[in-house]
Amino acid sequence: MSENILEVKDLVIHYETDEEVVEAVNDITFTLKKGQVMGLVGETGAGKTTTALGIMGLLPSKVGHVIQGSIKLEGEDLLRKSPREMRDVRGKRISMIFQDPMTALNPVKTVGDQIAEVVLLHNRCSKAEALKRAQEMLAMVGIVPERYKDYPHQFSGGMKQRIVIAIALACEPDLLIADEPTTALDVTIQAQILDMMRKLQKDHGTSMILITHDLGVVAEMCETVAVMYAGQLVEFGSLEEVFDNPKHPYTRALYQSIPSLDKDVERLHVIPGMVSDPSNLPPYCSFFERCDEKCDRCRDFEPWAVEVDPGHVVRCLQYTPEWNGGEK
Amino acid sequence: MAELLLEVKNLKKYFSTPRGMLHAVDNVTFNIEKGKTIGIVGESGCGKSTLGKTLMRLHTATSGQVLYKGADIAAMPLKEFKQKYRSNIQMIFQDPYASLDPRMSVLQLVEEPIRVQNPKMSKSEVTSQAKNMMELVGLAKRLEGSYPHELDGGRRQRIGIARALSLHPEFIVCDEPVSALDVSIQAQILNLLQDLQRDRGLTYMFITHDMSVVKHISDDIAVMYLGQMIEKCKADEIFKHTIHPYSQALLSAIPIPNAHVKHERMVLKGELTSPINPKPCCRFAARCPYATDRCFGEEPVLRELKPGHSVACHFAEQFVKE
Repeated sequence: MSENILEVKDLVIHYETDEEVVEAVNDITFTLKKGQVMGLVGETGAGKTTTALGIMGLLPSKVGHVIQGSIKLEGEDLLRKSPREMRDVRGKRISMIFQDPMTALNPVKTVGDQIAEVVLLHNRCSKAEALKRAQEMLAMVGIVPERYKDYPHQFSGGMKQRIVIAIALACEPDLLIADEPTTALDVTIQAQILDMMRKLQKDHGTSMILITHDLGVVAEMCETVAVMYAGQLVEFGSLEEVFDNPKHPYTRALYQSIPSLDKDVERLHVIPGMVSDPSNLPPYCSFFERCDEKCDRCRDFEPWAVEVDPGHVVRCLQYTPEWNGGEK
Repeated sequence: MAELLLEVKNLKKYFSTPRGMLHAVDNVTFNIEKGKTIGIVGESGCGKSTLGKTLMRLHTATSGQVLYKGADIAAMPLKEFKQKYRSNIQMIFQDPYASLDPRMSVLQLVEEPIRVQNPKMSKSEVTSQAKNMMELVGLAKRLEGSYPHELDGGRRQRIGIARALSLHPEFIVCDEPVSALDVSIQAQILNLLQDLQRDRGLTYMFITHDMSVVKHISDDIAVMYLGQMIEKCKADEIFKHTIHPYSQALLSAIPIPNAHVKHERMVLKGELTSPINPKPCCRFAARCPYATDRCFGEEPVLRELKPGHSVACHFAEQFVKE
């Protein structure tokens, strides 16, 4: 439908090397409505960034492969586009903000030139017009426009991230993917950046995927939440549903393992064991080994996504209707 | 009155830079009781790590005293410190990826401090002690021959903890030990640190920028800003009765993982000012929403406002909430 900006269906992404196949993303499906902010949550190695790179068409060539599935941006399948067509999509219709602002910028080009570069690439305009646009963008993210002639090292971490955001938003993309945009920043600076991103997102009606491992950031910014574990979406739903009524054992355990500011807990809940090795995933539920609520049947087959409430999807056997009946 | 393990008095650490003196730690005074945990909170560049390293004698203090059970470890010759006190004061480093030698196996890494501090100990004794340490921190026997790159962050941090503990220290400086870890692993490490403290009566100085972690683990909390300690009190007190405007901003900036709490946040303007040759004024004044002329002209001192609650702010009284 036209109200969905992004539809990802049955997406599988593998990294293939000579020694092994790493199953980074396993069969994920989600939709993002226009103007909505979705939080993509999970631990290191859960496949969050790979999903984002897949959408952007930026998987490392030769190694990263989309095995199956479709990624539709307003109905057009991005996976069927040629590299040349994807270059037009990137930066103009989808932009990405990378995690580390210290390495995302080119140290030998002025920040003005770096913003103007995107503008020149996607619009027919003169260099002077592009630079003017760059200055507008700097003003928009709260940096004095006169500093467009400065180099990245002359800015602090928070300001560099503002510049990265300015580059991402320069062509007013429909979809913005922010990969841990504030993880490298201090909390007071994080608060500034989040405030600014929320304001820009509202003003321009940009849809956004916010990748983070910080559930607090998700609560403040997002309307829907997708929880990833070992390359799968284990839970997907509205912020209220997922936060107030988490269904998947992993989501529940994740909440209990965070030290809380309002409650006093003597000992933190620990999720035993480690994340399964993505090059050697079991043929059953990949959370099985660490799960508190497992049973023998969990070993029999891999769970599939079940809609427990409208819009609230969980991938766990205990919500599968056939589970109680005994027969699959 | 509980026994004091460490008394820090007017500790200063300045670094000389081409642009002037960088006041990394400026006139910091505090005490740590035996068996307790003090949490040091602040943003990057506020001098938390420099403070930790100065206590460890990894930096030499510019001036001031660090009394460890009454002996001034900041002023004594480094050689004497290493012989008598290095084993008692150990540190767990922030980045378990950078603080371990990639060419040493897990067992060698844990053996190293024991061997260095006990040059006369037999090789088999060193190995058996190291193995005990590995067991204590929950590193499986089969990992003895593994190298750091084969392990995940949580296990690497356990090696760091085993190395620090292998000398049976009384006091451990934990410099952001969980910042580089995922939440589920972070919980494992925090629980381990708490268990070890309970079983061995350890004293911790816990440096972090994560307020929820510090609340969980600390007895006392000290907030630092640009090298100075600006607020110091019991852990629950700071969350209930925050006084200093910077602490208020720091607390309100933390995103809360709850779908219904939409709190008013106090967003600070600007960023840290330079710690190089600071002017004699309140260092937070430039970002403080309540700053007056007095704040720009006179440096506030840390003073006790309520029993056990000290604040460095000229107008602290007006922020006291009952």
